[in-house]
Amino acid sequence: MTATESIKIEKPPKGASIPAKKGIKKAILGIFKKALETESLDALIIPVKVPETESYAWVLLKDTALLENADPLPPVMTIQGGKVLSDLTKHGKINKNIAAVLRPCETRAAVELFKLKQLHFENISLISIDCPGAIPLSEYLAEPEKSEKSFGNVLDKWDGDDSVREICKTCYRFSLPTLTNAPASDLHIGLSGNTKDDVVLIPVTSKGEKILEKLDLKPESSLQKWETKIKEIKKIKSQRRKEFNHDFKTNISGPEKFTAVFDGCINCHNCQSVCPICYCQQCYFDSATTKLSSEDYFRRAKERGALRFPLDTMLFHLGRMSHMALSCVSCGACEDGLPHVHFRISGLQPRRRADPASIQLYPGNK
Amino acid sequence: MEKAYTPQIIGFLCNWCSYTGADLAGVSRLQIPSSIRVIRLMCSGRIDPLFVTKAIFKGSDGVMMMGCHPGDCHYQKGNYYTRRRYKTIKTVLEVLHLDAERIVLSWVSASEGVKYARVTKEFSNKITGLGPNPLKKEIFL
Repeated sequence: MTATESIKIEKPPKGASIPAKKGIKKAILGIFKKALETESLDALIIPVKVPETESYAWVLLKDTALLENADPLPPVMTIQGGKVLSDLTKHGKINKNIAAVLRPCETRAAVELFKLKQLHFENISLISIDCPGAIPLSEYLAEPEKSEKSFGNVLDKWDGDDSVREICKTCYRFSLPTLTNAPASDLHIGLSGNTKDDVVLIPVTSKGEKILEKLDLKPESSLQKWETKIKEIKKIKSQRRKEFNHDFKTNISGPEKFTAVFDGCINCHNCQSVCPICYCQQCYFDSATTKLSSEDYFRRAKERGALRFPLDTMLFHLGRMSHMALSCVSCGACEDGLPHVHFRISGLQPRRRADPASIQLYPGNK
Repeated sequence: MEKAYTPQIIGFLCNWCSYTGADLAGVSRLQIPSSIRVIRLMCSGRIDPLFVTKAIFKGSDGVMMMGCHPGDCHYQKGNYYTRRRYKTIKTVLEVLHLDAERIVLSWVSASEGVKYARVTKEFSNKITGLGPNPLKKEIFL
C-alpha cells in the first residue's frame, strides 16, 4: 500500500462528537480537564504557552489549572513531540497512565523512535490531531501576534494558505491514518470537515476506546463528513507534493546543483540536533575523527588541487540523508532549526521512507 | 606514453564469508583485478552508509559491499541490514544523480572464490568503462 492511497480506517466507523461552542481549543482542553479530574489519565504531556513570552513548551502536567495556557495545536512546532516522548521514556517504561497530544508527524516520529528502541509505549496513549500545518518558527518569533492570526486563518481554510511552512503545504499525512493500516495514535481528534461547532474524537485502538469509555463518551456520530473533507485536502496536498518532488529533483540533480543547494550551509548542525530521528549519542561528524593534522589537510589539498573548509560539509548532509531516509517523518524540524531561511533541506529525504516493496529485492544475488 | 587508467575500487568484505572467499580466490591462483582495495570488517552489517558515501566523495571510483548470503550471516542478521542500507544509499545517489552505478552489493560465501574473482573483474571492467569518478576533483564538495 502506498502512502497516497485512500483512507482506510478499519476500526473507527464512528466518533464521539463534542460540542465546541466556545471554540475548538476550549472543547478539547475541556475533555483533557475531565480526564485528569476523573483520573482517567494520571498526567498529560501537551504544548503550553510560556507565560510572559510568546513561545510554547512541552509540559508534563497533572494540575488542571495549567491547562488554561495549554494548546493542543500550537501555531508553531518548537520541539518535535516525538523527541519529547523519547526523553520521557528512553530509559524504560513509565508506571503512570499518561497521554501525549501530538501532531500527526510527531506521532509518526514517536513510532519511528519506538522502532529504534528509543521510546517505550507502555502506559502512554497517543492522541493525534488533524493538523493544517505550522507557521515557520522564525516568522512566528519575529511577529507572534500576526502569526497567531494567520494560523487562525489556516485553521479556517485548511489548505491553500501561504503562511504555513513549505513542508506543511505539501504534507498529505496531516490526519488519520498514517502510512499503513497500523494505527499510529490511540485516539484522534478530527477537526476538518466539521463546522466550528463540534470536534470529533475518533477511537483508533482499544486504548483510545477505553479513554472515551472512562469519559462517558460514546462514539456514535458518523465520520462521513470528516472523511470526505480529509480525502479532498489529501488529494490537493498529494498533488502539490508530487509537483514539489519533481521540481526538487530537477533542482538538486548532479554535483554542481547539489553543491549549489547546500552552499548556504554554515555547518551549525542544527538540523541534526532538532531532528527527532537523529538519536545517536555521539555523531561521527561531531567527533574528533573529523579533525585532521595539518599534514593530512595538505595531502588532501594536493590530491584535489585545493581544499574547502570546514571539511565534509556536503558529506554531512549526504550522510544524514542516507541515515534518515528510511525513517524521516517529514516534520520539517530540520528546516525550522536553520539559522537562515534560504536553504531548503526538509525536502531532501529522497523517498521519505523507502517503499518497503523495493527493500524486498535481493540486490546481492547477481 | 600515457599510463592506462586503472580505477581505484574499495571493497568492504565481511570476515566470515567474502574475505575468506577472496582468500580462496587467491589461494586458487585466480586472476583478481589489482584495482580493488579490500577492507575487512567482521560483518557486512558494520558498513555504515557513510563509509560508502565518504569513499565516493573522497574520490574512489567504485565501492563493493560484500557479505554472506542471506540466511548465512555469522551474526544472524547483519547482512539484512546491509541489504537495506545498500538500497538506501543507491536511492539517495540516484536522486542526486551521483553515479549510483559505482556501488555494488554482492553475496560471496567462503567457498565462492570463483564468484569473487568474477564479480570483482566484472565490476572493475564496468568502472574502467565509466572512467574516473568526477567527484575526485570537485573542490567545493
